[in-house]
Amino acid sequence: MSYILHLLILLSIYSVLSLSLNLLVGYTGLFSFAHAAFYGIGAYITTLLMMKAGWGFFPALFIAILGAILLSLIVAIPSLRLKGDYFVLATLGFQTIIFYILYNWVGLTNGPYGIPGIPRPQFLGFGVDSIFAYSVFSILLSGICLLLLWRICESPFGRTLRAIRDDEIAASALGKNIYRFKVLAFVLSGAFASVPGALFASYMRYIDPTSFTLMETVFILSAVLIGGAGNIKGPIIGTVFVILLPEFLRFLHIPDTIAPNVRQILYGLFILILMRLRPQGLGGEYKLQ
Amino acid sequence: MVAQLFANGLAMGSLYALSALGFGLIYNTTRVFHIAYGAVYTVSAYLLFALWTQYKIPLGIALIIASILTILLGILIDIHVYQPLLRQSSSFLIVMISSLAVYIITVNIIVLIFGNEIKVLRSGVATTFSLGQVILSDIQILQIVAFAFVFFTLVLSLKWTNFGKIIRAMRDNPDLLSLMGIDLQKVRWLIFGLGSLLAGLAAMLQALDVGIDPNIGMSAVLIAAVAVIIGGVGILEAPAFGGLLLGVLQSVVIWQASGRWQEAVTFALLILFLLFKPEGIFGQRRRLEEK
Repeated sequence: MSYILHLLILLSIYSVLSLSLNLLVGYTGLFSFAHAAFYGIGAYITTLLMMKAGWGFFPALFIAILGAILLSLIVAIPSLRLKGDYFVLATLGFQTIIFYILYNWVGLTNGPYGIPGIPRPQFLGFGVDSIFAYSVFSILLSGICLLLLWRICESPFGRTLRAIRDDEIAASALGKNIYRFKVLAFVLSGAFASVPGALFASYMRYIDPTSFTLMETVFILSAVLIGGAGNIKGPIIGTVFVILLPEFLRFLHIPDTIAPNVRQILYGLFILILMRLRPQGLGGEYKLQ
Repeated sequence: MVAQLFANGLAMGSLYALSALGFGLIYNTTRVFHIAYGAVYTVSAYLLFALWTQYKIPLGIALIIASILTILLGILIDIHVYQPLLRQSSSFLIVMISSLAVYIITVNIIVLIFGNEIKVLRSGVATTFSLGQVILSDIQILQIVAFAFVFFTLVLSLKWTNFGKIIRAMRDNPDLLSLMGIDLQKVRWLIFGLGSLLAGLAAMLQALDVGIDPNIGMSAVLIAAVAVIIGGVGILEAPAFGGLLLGVLQSVVIWQASGRWQEAVTFALLILFLLFKPEGIFGQRRRLEEK
């Protein structure tokens, strides 16, 4: 039972991650490789405020969201002046730099040794200690994020983003400030990515920088690409797929030592085949351009 | 001290420059953002390890066999991954993501075969030579010599030979090139083969110097991409200067701070260039629409 609850918590964390990345990739047509950085910033700010300043989970999460907004502005304002592969490289650069700051600033983040003993949150006066309570908590908090993301995507703002994605010049001819909309989309995406970071930290009770590398960004991206970008359903399908695939492999009795590699090979093959035959993914509606 | 620092940076930069020249050759002519170049790099180093260290084939023969297989791998990736995508006129993003997927698949296969740990090809203390105040190991000198040889051969052949003319034409206007009756397929083989050979050369020199692990390809391809951009996109010789600059800069960083900041500094430099001089050191400023 606790195994299923564990999977539910992971699913709730990663569905928010992939849907917030989808806001950029699928709705705005921007390929950011910095998503795990915002996820990591959310985790680290929440953890540090809870452990070093003794704050509660929600005030710490609030500051973490503000921190992610600030950081995404720092990344977005210069990067969005660039186009195509230059934009991709710039975000990839920021991802790497932020990882190395988390990794090397030992005084604050404890560097590669990580931070153990992160407290579980208090919610309505109850400690969310048991795995059952945490799964309910995580699904509730993620559910709120998903609901908000869904509303944003379906709002006039979301439609404008799709217009920018499909035809920038036409959108700007209709009086939309392309740059400002892109920055706003980037900031929203970063802000939403920080919430699963906080959930991950207080669930695992231990974080270190290796959870927030470029490969983590690639993992989230593969959930979006396999599921399909540009609507709500696609990234959710993709998340379920990438989270549950390793569990299926477990039933095939693939030894634990090679399972992570077999898994990654399968993700790679799926992406390769989908990009060739079905660039909108399993359930998406946006074909990458 | 400063001279030694510069010499170390030069040796490191020579490796970066070699792989950047290969990456730049492919990027500037075919516009493929070849992340799988990192896979070619890693495979090449592991081929040398398998042939030389495991099967005890003499070094010279092992180098030649590994180079040939590396060239074949590069061409096969182009034929089976990039060309089908280009035929259905996929966007650069799809090509880039597919390339990333090829990288992930290849590197994980390498981990399955060879394991995750660092492999050292040459044990013991390297022979060193001192030139004045500067001390360099034999392999560092080989790196600099190999780079100098490749660079001048490339520059001369780009300028004076038929091959160079075709490569430059491919960069400027591939459609016109095929109208001139030149088989673009063969030109692509040449470009991917040569680019992969340069990756392999850098990878094998790095393997002989500091050893290998499955992740060397990713940092190599990222550094190569950064070197291409700060050198100037569209100029086939420029990545060499980007690579040398990065090598010297990193050696200063190692001296001033520590090796742990190396990669962060590389990308900080990239972002500075993208913001203030996006055309690179040698590039000419162009309007955005022309790219």
